[in-house]
Amino acid sequence: MERHREFVALLAAVILTVGSLSSVAQAQKLDRTKVPEPGKTPELHVPAWTKTQLANGATLIVSERPGLPLVSFSMTFIGGANQFEPVGRRGLAAMTGSMLSEGTPSKSGDQLSDALQLLGTTVNVSMGAEDGTLSFVSTTRNFEGTLAILSDMMLNSTFPPEALERLRGRTLISLTQQKDQPTVVGGQVFAKVLYGTAHPYGQRPNEASVKAITRDDVVAFQKAYFQPGRAIITVVGDVKAPQVKAAVEKAFAAWTKAGEKPSFDYPKLPEKQPATIYLVDKPGAAQSVVNIGLPGPPRNTPDYFALQVLNTILGGQFQSRLNANIREQKGYSYGVGSSFAYGKGPGPFRAGGSIFLDKTDAALIEFMKELKGIVGEKPITDEELQTAKDSLIQGLPQRFSSVSAIGNSITSLQVLGLLDNYYQNYAKAVSAVTKEDLTRVANLYIDLNHLAIVIVGDRAKIEAPLKATNIAPITILDSEGNPVSNAAQSRPGN
Amino acid sequence: MNSIRFSRCISMLALVVCLTMAQPLSAQRKSKAAAPPDAIKIPFETYKLPNGLTVILSADHSVPTVAVDVWYHVGSKNEVPGRTGFAHLFEHVMFTGSGHVPYGVHDKLTEGVGGSNNGSTTNDRTNYFEIVPSNYLESALWLESDRMGFLLDTLDIAKLNAQRDVVKNERRQSYDNQPYGRVNEILAAAIYPKSNPYSWPVIGSMTDLSAASENDVKDFFRLYYAPNNATLAVVGDFDPVQAKQWIAKYFNDLPQGKKVERPNVPLVTLEAGKRLVYEDKVQLPRLYLAWPTVGGGNEDDHVLDILADILSGPRTARLTKALVYDSQAAANVGAFQATSENAGQFLIIVTPRQGHSLTELEAKVDEVLQKFISEGPTAEEMQKATSGAELSFLRGLESNLGKAEQLLNGSVFHGDPAYFRTDYQNRLSVTAADVKRVANTYLSKGRVVLSVVPQGKKDQASKASESETVTQLLTTQSSGVKGGK
Repeated sequence: MERHREFVALLAAVILTVGSLSSVAQAQKLDRTKVPEPGKTPELHVPAWTKTQLANGATLIVSERPGLPLVSFSMTFIGGANQFEPVGRRGLAAMTGSMLSEGTPSKSGDQLSDALQLLGTTVNVSMGAEDGTLSFVSTTRNFEGTLAILSDMMLNSTFPPEALERLRGRTLISLTQQKDQPTVVGGQVFAKVLYGTAHPYGQRPNEASVKAITRDDVVAFQKAYFQPGRAIITVVGDVKAPQVKAAVEKAFAAWTKAGEKPSFDYPKLPEKQPATIYLVDKPGAAQSVVNIGLPGPPRNTPDYFALQVLNTILGGQFQSRLNANIREQKGYSYGVGSSFAYGKGPGPFRAGGSIFLDKTDAALIEFMKELKGIVGEKPITDEELQTAKDSLIQGLPQRFSSVSAIGNSITSLQVLGLLDNYYQNYAKAVSAVTKEDLTRVANLYIDLNHLAIVIVGDRAKIEAPLKATNIAPITILDSEGNPVSNAAQSRPGN
Repeated sequence: MNSIRFSRCISMLALVVCLTMAQPLSAQRKSKAAAPPDAIKIPFETYKLPNGLTVILSADHSVPTVAVDVWYHVGSKNEVPGRTGFAHLFEHVMFTGSGHVPYGVHDKLTEGVGGSNNGSTTNDRTNYFEIVPSNYLESALWLESDRMGFLLDTLDIAKLNAQRDVVKNERRQSYDNQPYGRVNEILAAAIYPKSNPYSWPVIGSMTDLSAASENDVKDFFRLYYAPNNATLAVVGDFDPVQAKQWIAKYFNDLPQGKKVERPNVPLVTLEAGKRLVYEDKVQLPRLYLAWPTVGGGNEDDHVLDILADILSGPRTARLTKALVYDSQAAANVGAFQATSENAGQFLIIVTPRQGHSLTELEAKVDEVLQKFISEGPTAEEMQKATSGAELSFLRGLESNLGKAEQLLNGSVFHGDPAYFRTDYQNRLSVTAADVKRVANTYLSKGRVVLSVVPQGKKDQASKASESETVTQLLTTQSSGVKGGK
């Protein structure tokens, strides 16, 4: 076969002489083992934007991007479900967000939907834990029409009671369906183990909290939440800033000054617990969902850049240590990784993935080996450090690859309280990270003695092997994250 | 099924564009609408290397990145019974190094420099792509040329076994451990006869994969991964003159392969309907209705797309309004035309709310369909179903990879990279009479009714007493899995 290929290659080269003599020369002496050198690093062009404050206190940012006749609009409110949902009403923010589409004095829910379809677009409402956003992308031609509908939904919704009942029914069904999803159960139990139920980071909407939501709750939430004093409006596309300002002021003429950015005071974290395996039984599961971690630092930590480099080496990419070992070398999984979630409070550090049932114990041993490795047993090499930095720095242009991506990149600076020249300084900040920084932050934030190891899987098959690893004692939890009674804890045979 | 599986990355990557596929030789629909707006354009040039490799170049300097995307015109459809899953297996093997590229270098020169890479397999084609900073274009071309020309130099049984294990884990994660995860393969097996290459799933049979010899796998590669069965697109921030030189340098000397025979796949109809019930690890039952339709080259494909948009999605769509809003018997409902190169399926999926049976929901769906088939769509429904086309196409143009996929889809399935314009125009030229005719033609014929129910709850199936139980699935995995290399 080898000879055959060379023969045909020669033929191809001969044919080519008609077109280009130089490629024949190249084809004959091409050394394929030589990795092509990269060209000159392209200059990073961070999109420019203007920032103004409207009379009602909202911040308006416009980034002009001539070209395709597209425009991206977003209105982000600082603070989210964690700041604005009353006790016992988890799920109210999302419910209010959904209720915005159910009708206004001038348009029924059906008419709002029809009007948006005819404009060829949709208004997305996304209510998060620490911020909430109303957004759309439209053609420039339909920008003002869509904006008028968004404004009507946000300010004038009538919240019909029958719509609340319909949405409640749907939400309860999706809560039921989530119980089928081992990854969702794993994430919820992990949060509860790390933060407890008194901390918003440990809470999720549940059947009781969704059933408790009243129409009065929705009305009150809408009033309290959608206020200009905490709003960041970002518009990106083939538009001009003065026209955008005029359009926004017109659409939101009735929206008067009120509200401010909330404080992000979270309760103290629960006492640290010694490392423990928390096992949630999922009989018959083909895979075990593994989450290992503990509360981490908030986004405003001065260690942010060191942690980003660290996580890129540990588990942020395909060739990171965790995936290279557990998927690529051992074949125990379809993919594993790690992340720091940050946030305004102590968002979690998490390592994990879905593991083939029979290899749950073997994979956990490898996870622990890599975590011990990154805190010191397997020192970070110069090459790992450089690759991680290159990857972060040269990946930056991807954040500006579409009107909505540019919008998100600009808005996130405002939401996180970062400087406007953050992207211009990004490469410098990443480059400054040293190996010593990485060792320090790894030891500070990946505290091996206090890791929570949450595994959702087939208990009958994996409990004994997990016990035999001697990595940590095992506690059995139910799928809500509550301890299972003593009798069930010690099943015969385990 | 046009099942796109982004099976390599830890995180799933969503393609912006919605691909439609079509038979290259079929007649094109006559244009009834005005030409598409000027903004609906992708400037490109295309040419062929002497070894048969088709090249498409499209420069766009708005962001300093470039997408390199190679389509091989091979998918699960090109496999044979007893040896299924090869196309998808190669999607994994192709990232494990080749003659001059040691394992790991591919990732290092993509994600390691701030870019990304991935591949996906459907019944009809496999794609491999890199998105890199524009100064890494030459190395991306070097990587693609080496695995096209020299993959087998380093492919041994150990490497093959390691990737077989990863694929088995993919199957456990994406199918076996997913509620309702086996529906697609059940429907495919029910709709198509066993001899039809759309009857087996893209991921293939685990037994077949385990049984395949090194030579089986290598023969498959030699035939289907040659330059004459491949199309290379480069889209983004690059100099076309320079790019052509590099493409000549790395691809010209790769040998042409044998001519590839395309399977002849006849369209399928179900004379009698089939009623199936499958017990799954789920809390709630779900109803699936599936009709065999047509592939991407058939002029009814666009009409079926529009029919799906009129039936479900926004709250005023026919099924959504009747089932989710008015009677509130369903938590959600979806209708889709799933298009492959030579075949298609029209699907309706309904999740009931508590207190409503699948039998009741099937009757409610039929009530809506009967009314629609006799009346057809309103003018406003037609307008709503087509008014989003411009925006969704323009958004696809924002990404280099999105543009590459559009150009490749046109080139590979229609012999014309600019097919996206025809495609756009075809969609806008569909009439209400077309939609009514198509609903009548396809949805009045035999269909598969599949009830997925919680374990031990077969009585929850729609018309349970008439439903046949699904037990034996093609892809039942082999017992015992080796522990990697």
